[in-house]
Amino acid sequence: MARHKKTQGNLIAEGLTRRQLIELEACARCGECQIWCPVYAQDKRECVTARGKLASLRCIVNGPPLQAEEQKEFLEGLYECSVCGQCHVVCPVRINTTELWEQARLSLSGAGMPQPKSQIKQLSAIKDFNNSYGKPQQERGLWARRAWEAGFLKAPLPLWKEQRSPVLYFAGCAASFDPDMQSVAVQSARLLQEAGVEFSILGNDEPCCISKLRRMGDADFTIQAQKRIDMFNEQEVTTIVVSCAGCYKGFHYDYRRLWSGAKHVLHLTEFLEQLIREGRLRPEREVPLVVTYHDPCHLGRHNRIYDPPRSILKAVPGLTLAEMPRHGAFSACCGMGGGLKIVNPEIQQKMGAARIRESESTGAQVVVTPCQTCCMGLLHGVEKAASAMEVNHLNEILVRSVCPDVSAGAIKTAFERLSK
Amino acid sequence: MYDMHLGLTGYPKPWLLFWIAAIMALGYLVITFHRKWQKWSQSKTQIPEARNGSKLHVMKIWIAEVFCQRQLFGLSSFRWFAHMLIFWGFIGLPFLSITTITLRPLEYLGIDGGWASFFFYGNGHAFIKIWGDSFGLALLIGLLAAILRRFLMRPAQLVNNQGDVILVVFLLWLTISGFFLEGLHLKLAPTALVRYSFVGRFFMPPGTYTAAQLQQWLTAIWTLHALSGVSLMAYLPHSKLMHSLLAPLVIAMNVEEEQDRKDIYWPDIKKHRAT
Repeated sequence: MARHKKTQGNLIAEGLTRRQLIELEACARCGECQIWCPVYAQDKRECVTARGKLASLRCIVNGPPLQAEEQKEFLEGLYECSVCGQCHVVCPVRINTTELWEQARLSLSGAGMPQPKSQIKQLSAIKDFNNSYGKPQQERGLWARRAWEAGFLKAPLPLWKEQRSPVLYFAGCAASFDPDMQSVAVQSARLLQEAGVEFSILGNDEPCCISKLRRMGDADFTIQAQKRIDMFNEQEVTTIVVSCAGCYKGFHYDYRRLWSGAKHVLHLTEFLEQLIREGRLRPEREVPLVVTYHDPCHLGRHNRIYDPPRSILKAVPGLTLAEMPRHGAFSACCGMGGGLKIVNPEIQQKMGAARIRESESTGAQVVVTPCQTCCMGLLHGVEKAASAMEVNHLNEILVRSVCPDVSAGAIKTAFERLSK
Repeated sequence: MYDMHLGLTGYPKPWLLFWIAAIMALGYLVITFHRKWQKWSQSKTQIPEARNGSKLHVMKIWIAEVFCQRQLFGLSSFRWFAHMLIFWGFIGLPFLSITTITLRPLEYLGIDGGWASFFFYGNGHAFIKIWGDSFGLALLIGLLAAILRRFLMRPAQLVNNQGDVILVVFLLWLTISGFFLEGLHLKLAPTALVRYSFVGRFFMPPGTYTAAQLQQWLTAIWTLHALSGVSLMAYLPHSKLMHSLLAPLVIAMNVEEEQDRKDIYWPDIKKHRAT
């Protein structure tokens, strides 16, 4: 009956946790989030700040509905957010904004509020193709075959279905499909081989981690995640090493509520740092570079992996690490996360450029990051800032010291040749 | 023992009006919070979080965050200074008001256990004076610092909307009217007691007055001050003061989940601050 019909505010309240509903009222409106927000630094609108989003969400939940223009602004603010979590770190009230924005996106779409078409398209591609590139699954494991054919590996990589190993290396969509990032998968595999790690890959059976579904608030996340968990359990996967920061956040953080095995998911940098510490991986060649390190949000603020990548860099002889003014928990986001890049590429480019300018201020020659998505974001920034700054994946630095024949450039050239 | 009867109760106070207003404001506060609770209870979503840390550690962080406001200290020592004074002023003064207001009916019923005599007419009165003036002064300085920052220093992130201005003016009025009331009280109090009101004595009106001359002023200011305090109770759920109740709660919930996050709970923010 009409009088029992739930309001939009009630529907949205149902989709948020009790804590999150309390958080909406707890904001002190101090504006600390605004000072640090990397999106606000490029787009001076209150609606993009945590304070602005909390105020609008509070109004929506408590009713009456926002005016059309107010709602439009709120949705822009909510979706033009990289969910970097900087506002959570600096909030004096400790509002867990990272969780809140993701849950709000889920709740809002469930209550029938419009989601940006570009994000819907991206989410459909992930669900339809099992990757965000819209490429056939049969091409997923091609990088491993080509890497062996081109001589970048010490041995062909065993498939998990044929040979179960103590470790599963999970490359992720970008390193599997993106020609500019396939070097990350090849270098990761080679470094593991150099350290004598017994590992296998899933090849064409590797699924997308679907963490982007959670980032953008897709209701299918839990069902899809459970399918992946069931697959890992059936195949008796114990330890997973992932080279993608996004996949790491997905498996290690988002899945932890569904899967006890999430704690056995390691990021490549954690694993490599351990191998270096144990003396199994030896960076011996000098790399005479001054580098600066960009903390990916998914590794740093979201999962507190700050030290392992830095330890790896410090283990490379001849290399000097110069920190940016904003690093660690205060690292400025490059803008690639949370679906922001899909909704507003211009803002992402500006954020990337700001980060590049910050890296230039350190006097470093190279900005290094262990996340292929951040690599792409920073490269957009280099273009936007017309900078000469070099952007490298952390693997690239490490292979220069361990196995310099496996450089990103050599891999890309060889793969282009092999694909013809 | 001082004869404080004249100084504290020697003028008429509209207790009936006060209690009616107080009960209405309290009722309104309870109803508003009940509605909020109902809204919060609409949640059908649960995100289970790990809560397996040491309770002692949780308590330690919570005290540092709430009572010492460590995060604010990391962000800005001036903000921390102003906020700490307002926070502790807010803890101390309502505590004093609630204690004295509660003791009145208990004294009337004869079940105060001697506390009313001690605090209102005995040596304990000096303690009340010191307590009230200390926390009142803290609140006053804190508010003046907040006004200075909000309206003169005007940091870019601050938004001064109507509600914020009303609240600051309202709080300032409450604090200053409290001191004026104290100044009038002191006019009728024994000289030996005046020194304990180390701030209130500066609000004493100049000249010599009889109790009868001051009575109407005392009644008027007491009424305005008391009703303003009661109004604040009703206004609280509609103002940014909500954070004074909910922030400690949210911090407690977050500490339970993220107590081992040294990157957020013991941050060296100034070191990384880019702005």
